[in-house]
Amino acid sequence: MARIVGIDLGTTNSLVAVAEDGTPRIIAGPDGSRMVPSVIHFGADQSVSVGNAALEKMFDDSGHTIFSIKRFMGKGIEDVRDDLSLLPFEASSESDNIIRINAGGRAYTPPELSAFVLRELKERAESDLAEEITNVVITVPAYFNDAQRQATKDAGRIAGLDVLRIVNEPTAASLAYGLQEKKQGIIAVYDFGGGTFDISILKLTEGIFEVLSTSGDTHLGGDDIDQALIRMVQEETKAELDNRGLGVVRAAMRKAKEDLSASEKTDIELPELNYSRVLSRDEFDGRIAAIIERTLVPCRQALKDAALEARAIDEVVMVGGSTRVPLVRSRVAELFGRALHTELNPDEVVALGAAVQADILSGNRRDTLLLDVSPLSLGIETIGGVMSTIIPRNSTVPASATESFTTYVEGQTNVKIHVLQGERELVEDCRSLAEFDLKNIPPMPAGLPRIEVKFLIDADGILNVSAMEKRTGKFQSVDIKPTYGLTDEQVETMILESFEHAEADIDVRLVIEARNEARTVLDACERSRVNEEYVQLPTEEKQEIETAVEALREAINTEDHQVIRDAIEQLNEKTMRVAELIMTAAIGKALKNKRVREIQ
Amino acid sequence: MNYFEVFNLEPVLNIDLDSLERKFHTLSRQYHPDFHTSSPPEERERALRMTALLNDSYRTLREPSKRAEYLVRSQGFEVDSSKVPQALLAEVFEVNEEMEQLRAARAAGDDTDALVEALEGSRVHISRMREDYDQRLQEAFSKWDGLISDPGSDEMRREQLSKLADILAHSAYIRNMERDIESEVAH
Repeated sequence: MARIVGIDLGTTNSLVAVAEDGTPRIIAGPDGSRMVPSVIHFGADQSVSVGNAALEKMFDDSGHTIFSIKRFMGKGIEDVRDDLSLLPFEASSESDNIIRINAGGRAYTPPELSAFVLRELKERAESDLAEEITNVVITVPAYFNDAQRQATKDAGRIAGLDVLRIVNEPTAASLAYGLQEKKQGIIAVYDFGGGTFDISILKLTEGIFEVLSTSGDTHLGGDDIDQALIRMVQEETKAELDNRGLGVVRAAMRKAKEDLSASEKTDIELPELNYSRVLSRDEFDGRIAAIIERTLVPCRQALKDAALEARAIDEVVMVGGSTRVPLVRSRVAELFGRALHTELNPDEVVALGAAVQADILSGNRRDTLLLDVSPLSLGIETIGGVMSTIIPRNSTVPASATESFTTYVEGQTNVKIHVLQGERELVEDCRSLAEFDLKNIPPMPAGLPRIEVKFLIDADGILNVSAMEKRTGKFQSVDIKPTYGLTDEQVETMILESFEHAEADIDVRLVIEARNEARTVLDACERSRVNEEYVQLPTEEKQEIETAVEALREAINTEDHQVIRDAIEQLNEKTMRVAELIMTAAIGKALKNKRVREIQ
Repeated sequence: MNYFEVFNLEPVLNIDLDSLERKFHTLSRQYHPDFHTSSPPEERERALRMTALLNDSYRTLREPSKRAEYLVRSQGFEVDSSKVPQALLAEVFEVNEEMEQLRAARAAGDDTDALVEALEGSRVHISRMREDYDQRLQEAFSKWDGLISDPGSDEMRREQLSKLADILAHSAYIRNMERDIESEVAH
């Protein structure tokens, strides 16, 4: 089976890793960097840069530098208004059921933007492993809903990847730690990243990692810590910050936060704002305590769902850059009363685990198996706007449920079904997932048709629906319209567009190269006109050269590199003889000069 | 294949959970899609369907009340926990009134200590009744299992299933009530 790599598509940074002889390693870029910043820059000249190159543009061209895309995956405009107000980019007006961000002269959906980062990782893996890579495992926060998972899969498809599995980040992390060496135990994975927080409780039995419960907050991460410090600066300076200013302050606050993981205090210097102060770790802890406290709520929920006390936990695995913050470590150690696993780099552990999962899928590892769960209850809308749960949260996936539906009116041929995710009783408080129609029901008296709908959540945590009319035994067509996200057709179009873009990019380059060469040739031609050899050419030959020069001058303005190349070829042919004459004369002159020098 | 058959079990209600988990792990290793990535599409589809069925079965069978509910429903009996059980009419009436008063007092900003205490008293009473139902459920389980190992008449089985359905409905009702009181007290 073709090689499979593991990808951690992060809010702030992304990584790609591969397992070789059972041992996972991070694939570094040509510059030796292990992380690709999840940043994309759209240049004024239509160029697109990704990663460190894009990060450099963050301050100077902030309006065209896109980051934190993960926060927008599977979201509509209403979900992310607050985030957008803090970020220097702009949403297109067509953003109702999927947000579109204006960049590089068009509107991009989050999966298309993430695809840029994925392509960069794909190239990294290909140049390191010296083979084409299409099979990947991509990690997502355990608490991602169906739309967010689907958006991640769509991003993979747009980047030309075959996403064989979506794996939950905390579960992947537990694989990276090789805890399967232990025969059994209960593991808690505390995953506090740039934009999301996840907690998973797993039970390990002889190589089987069974997730007992998972909880989290898709809108809680290191970004919130940065935001708390930015607010501090804003309050103390009363400065109105523009996009660039905000970028400068954010970078300084990130640095201060990072300093405070190792030191007791740090100096903040912002000459632009005429602001300088010392921030002690105690004060920092005070400012972020409420954020850390918010992570403990899902921890307690996950313990409750697993029917366990905090002291039942044997191992605590720490994941995500934000777990470097000392207050995070002390609060988590306190909650579980255990020493924490922090041996592996918290930024790399998820990618390493993804590579282990990729290794399992490759068939190289029969001893280890992950049994993950669906983080949210799946339900359907019933009369009165009430959600009726059909697959409860924390069900091991794949999981399924079958529900029967019937008609209310004689001869009714359509039944509308609204699918939701969430834990609240009322439809309006849950996340709308999709709506679909059961169509072409054979006309019968009301209540007689019996349509059985099978809801299946696959191993990626994504919903599949099939339906059958029991009386006729006929499969019903199920046309799912996702509430937040792209239809299959839209994804297909984007894949085609990205191909066209790639082709267009190559075309543009070829034209530019041909034009440059044409100019060089024309220049040389112009310079040779003063040569004696040129002047002495027969009129007819001179005429032919002039015609070829004119033809090339015209060809330069076309957008077809082949036309330009042909014209260059024509001119070269016509000037071949005179070029030789000039060359011979030049050599002769050179020799003459040499002789003169030798005589001297 | 029904959920019991997935685990190669007779439709019994007393199940050893450790042995159920061991079987679950063995079957997971056999069917899980992770081990069939490079198989042909129809085999992958089968792996997905079988694993889903396995997981659905395990989720249902490992919890006694879900297990019993699955059994009685699959035999054509309904477990309707929305109707007030006759035996609980007096208690339900009293608890509803107490909760009503507590909510009204809270809305008006009055002192609620006495009302909370009264409701707490009812909760203790309800919990004791629930424990009584748990006991009856356990007895009904064993009786049913007896009919499986030593097959009684069809009529005896149907009678037992109908009794089970009633106990399950009442026990679910009383559990919901207990939960409602707890959340009202903790308000």
